[in-house]
Amino acid sequence: MNSLSLAWRLLLRQRRAGDLKVVIAALAVAIAALVSVMSFADRLQRALKFQGSELLAADLVVRSPYPPKFEWLAEISRLGLKSARTVSFRSVVIHGEYSQLAEVKAVAEGYPLRGGLRVAADVNVEDASVVGIPPMGTVWVDGQLLTLLNMTTGGRVNLGSRQFLTDKVITLEPDRGGTVFAIAPRLMLNLADLPSTELIQPGSLASHRLLVAGDVGLIGVFRDWMQDRKEAGVVLQDAGNAQPRFRAALNKGEQFLGLATLVTVLLSGVAIARAARNYAQRHLDTVALMRCVGATQRKILEVLITQLLILGTVGSAIGCALGYVAQQAFVYLIPGLVAGDLPWPSLTPAMVGVSAGVVTIVGFAAPIIIRLRGVPPLRVLRRELGTLPNHVAAVYITAMLTLAALVFWVARDVTLAAYVLGGSLIAVVLLSALSYLLIRLINHMRGGVTVTWRFGIAALARRAGSSIGQIVAIGIGVMAILLLTLVRSDLLQAWRANLPPDTPNHFLINIQPGQLADIEKYFREQRWRRPHLRPIVRARLMAINDRPVRPQDFADAFAQRVVQRAANLSWMETLQDDNELVAGEWWRDQERASPLVSVEKQYAEALGLSLGDKLKYRIADQEITVAVSNLRTVAWDSFRPNFFLLVPPALLNGYPASYITSLYVPRSRAHQINALIKKFPNVTNIDVDALLRQVRRLVDRINAVLEYIFLFTVLAGIVVLYAAIQTTQGERRQEVAILRTLGATRRQLSIGMVSEFVVMGVLAGAVGALAAMLIGYGISAQLLDIPYRLQFRTWLVGVGAAVTIVTGAGILGTYRLWRTSPWQILRNH
Amino acid sequence: MTPDVIVQAEALTKQVSSPEGALTILDGVSMSVRSAETLAVVGVSGSGKSTLLGLLAGLDEPTAGRVILNGTDLSQVDEDERARVRAGRVGFVFQNFQLLPSLTAIENVMLPLELTGHARAEQQARSGLGRVGLADRVAHYPAQLSGGEQQRVAIARAFATNPRILFADEPTGNLDEKTGGRIIDLLFDLNREHGTTLILVTHDRAIGIRCDRRLELSAGRLLGEPI
Repeated sequence: MNSLSLAWRLLLRQRRAGDLKVVIAALAVAIAALVSVMSFADRLQRALKFQGSELLAADLVVRSPYPPKFEWLAEISRLGLKSARTVSFRSVVIHGEYSQLAEVKAVAEGYPLRGGLRVAADVNVEDASVVGIPPMGTVWVDGQLLTLLNMTTGGRVNLGSRQFLTDKVITLEPDRGGTVFAIAPRLMLNLADLPSTELIQPGSLASHRLLVAGDVGLIGVFRDWMQDRKEAGVVLQDAGNAQPRFRAALNKGEQFLGLATLVTVLLSGVAIARAARNYAQRHLDTVALMRCVGATQRKILEVLITQLLILGTVGSAIGCALGYVAQQAFVYLIPGLVAGDLPWPSLTPAMVGVSAGVVTIVGFAAPIIIRLRGVPPLRVLRRELGTLPNHVAAVYITAMLTLAALVFWVARDVTLAAYVLGGSLIAVVLLSALSYLLIRLINHMRGGVTVTWRFGIAALARRAGSSIGQIVAIGIGVMAILLLTLVRSDLLQAWRANLPPDTPNHFLINIQPGQLADIEKYFREQRWRRPHLRPIVRARLMAINDRPVRPQDFADAFAQRVVQRAANLSWMETLQDDNELVAGEWWRDQERASPLVSVEKQYAEALGLSLGDKLKYRIADQEITVAVSNLRTVAWDSFRPNFFLLVPPALLNGYPASYITSLYVPRSRAHQINALIKKFPNVTNIDVDALLRQVRRLVDRINAVLEYIFLFTVLAGIVVLYAAIQTTQGERRQEVAILRTLGATRRQLSIGMVSEFVVMGVLAGAVGALAAMLIGYGISAQLLDIPYRLQFRTWLVGVGAAVTIVTGAGILGTYRLWRTSPWQILRNH
Repeated sequence: MTPDVIVQAEALTKQVSSPEGALTILDGVSMSVRSAETLAVVGVSGSGKSTLLGLLAGLDEPTAGRVILNGTDLSQVDEDERARVRAGRVGFVFQNFQLLPSLTAIENVMLPLELTGHARAEQQARSGLGRVGLADRVAHYPAQLSGGEQQRVAIARAFATNPRILFADEPTGNLDEKTGGRIIDLLFDLNREHGTTLILVTHDRAIGIRCDRRLELSAGRLLGEPI
């Protein structure tokens, strides 16, 4: 009989004996946890991209200096994607005797493809979301433009050679986002009206946007198609490179989901490892018997490995099915978790799941199985012979390699995987060494404790190899759960700290130097927080290192805009706490008037600037050249006035400056802002309340998603811990039965077992929690760039939680032992 | 129950579920054992002997009927109370020894003493092991002892608390004839010394003959005294 058919027959017999349930169940639970977390994380990750799409008004934007080409539109229609066009340019808007330069945006039917516009009937009136675009003959404007043109809605404005009715005030434009206070006020009109304004002629400086939305896969196809045909000046933009203010939140959310998936892989690996060892242990008799009846070692190996492959496939397949059901169930349990529908689950998690199951069970069991060949046939007669060899190192090395391969396979972020794996490796070594020492130590103490404690300690010591394995498994489980808890709470705190309830929701710009004292006084009277007034000097970039700059010299759209528009130069004595120096040095006291400039990193990258480069600016009719002295990163999501360019405080003395500040005023008290504008008519108020609400909603959604994934992973972790403890239940059953025949009460037995669980929990918890804190520190501080504090209390909580979970799972696992007749157990043993 | 009856069974029935439906292992067995009496329960394999023993010792629960052990109606008390009834008063010797593999010989013998809070458990256990001829094996683990030696440890453990009743389930079943004979001698000797009531299950008629009284079971029913 060939090995495959023999393996299959033997498996069927074992199934009848109920032997396979344990290993298949462990495998199925582990793979179900892996597949459900991975699949859900994958769907949410794609959904989060969609949240980002709201801020782009599309899934993908093609920006070009000319109208979209016919072939682009043809490809979009061939793929069945939705599209809409917008054209943006600057032009003067006139109302009576007032005129103002505005950012004009002509939008076509269908805009925005993602997210929505919000408009109000007039300034400081409750806004509402709106479907559709300005009807022909009308324009929608932002409040700032109305103030500047000294008009209200219902008035008429001239744009080019046309006159339009000003119909509504825009309070939220999804794709305007990040640069809200740095640009001229908005005027939006219907694209169909654009030709009649005669403003756009061939060669006009306008930015054409083609918004595209649809199925994630098809968007990818279109993106690739466009990449191959992209000409100079054409830029593709998706949520990944959308507004910097939101990108940080999205990235961190994605990294956390990645971490949760890795942690689940780790947990699953540990669970499968325990199951594999258990399976091998149960096969001692079978192997001995097979050798008695003349099976060669090679034959035995073939049969066992084939059985493992079959088991791996069956268990993983069941796990995959359960995993998909579980993650789908969750989608129904939490409706409205993300805006719109979740994308369909992909097949990748299933593929990873099945491979993980098969690879891990073979990887973990192979070293044991290979040694099983050496079981003497005499074991059939003498059970004590040929107990399972405990070559811990060999098993662990193979297992860790298998798990490492799996983690790197699943990880999208190699650094993250390296942190998790490196930390786990240190934890495994520490756990093995410490548990070995501890078991030896307490074994010496067992004479000095009461019978119930001795029973627990003796059990630990007698099963030293298996106990070490169990403690390592539990320790890794505790580490994984705690790691996720720590990183999650760090992330939450960082987000909360970034957007406190009093985050500024209004920007006041165009404050004149002579008004500073009055403005401060007004703030005091209103009991508002003292304003941070930041100076702005408008300047135009003329040359970099003496080479004149023109927009068309840059491929990057952001760089083009920078060169095209006037820049805001500001100055500061010291660095604001939402800025961080990444290169060069901040100016010293003696450099207060030196021609230096501090440049925001992204801005520097777009223009290709490095330290020491010389930038020539024109301010009114004068020119000034400054050298790049340092580069900064800016937390744009702080909603405080921030600048791409900063100069030393005394450099621009005598240049015409205006001031800007931000403040928080509750929506219910918006009239206070109106009063301020009436008192200082030249000051312009920019209301970012709607934008802020949009950011908050996004962060809330990401939070809800992470919360769920977190809970789910923790649940998977607890199941895995439970499974790890269950692996020694066979031995425990007999011990409990014997003690019961000798008259031990449930209380006495409980103390004995609890003592064993407590020792395991303390050790696993102490080392696991320590490892979690160290890895958490690495991930939070280095990868996610959020503040992290190592706290003794966290460690203590970790140990406490570990003891509670391990003891709880242990008691739960042994509960059935009380209910079975000891006679039955002893007779079956 | 007459004053010197220590174990009494009334209409004991035990059924278990099987793929073919309910299987009756014991069918209305009534019997009683007097204090210090030695009783052999004999019968072929599968006749229900061991099941009866488990029920008499309160290690299993009957489907119908009741057992009164040492004055306590076992059907009226919970598992913990049954454990208390056993503690210190009931000893066991099993066919497959049932020693705790994680404890040494002396720790195994100390177990029942410590469970009842005996003050000089170690001393008592050491003397018990000496009595069964294992004074030099006290620190050995069960896996390091032969089958005969393991059964001696089990006997030392059974007598350690000086129990009123000893239940023995095929105590020689796993041993060769010569070793088995020595074990049975030891068992009866100790029983005499301690004045213990012995209820012994065996399929070996030669062992049965050494008891005061014999009951034969066949297909779950009591046939009466065979000899």
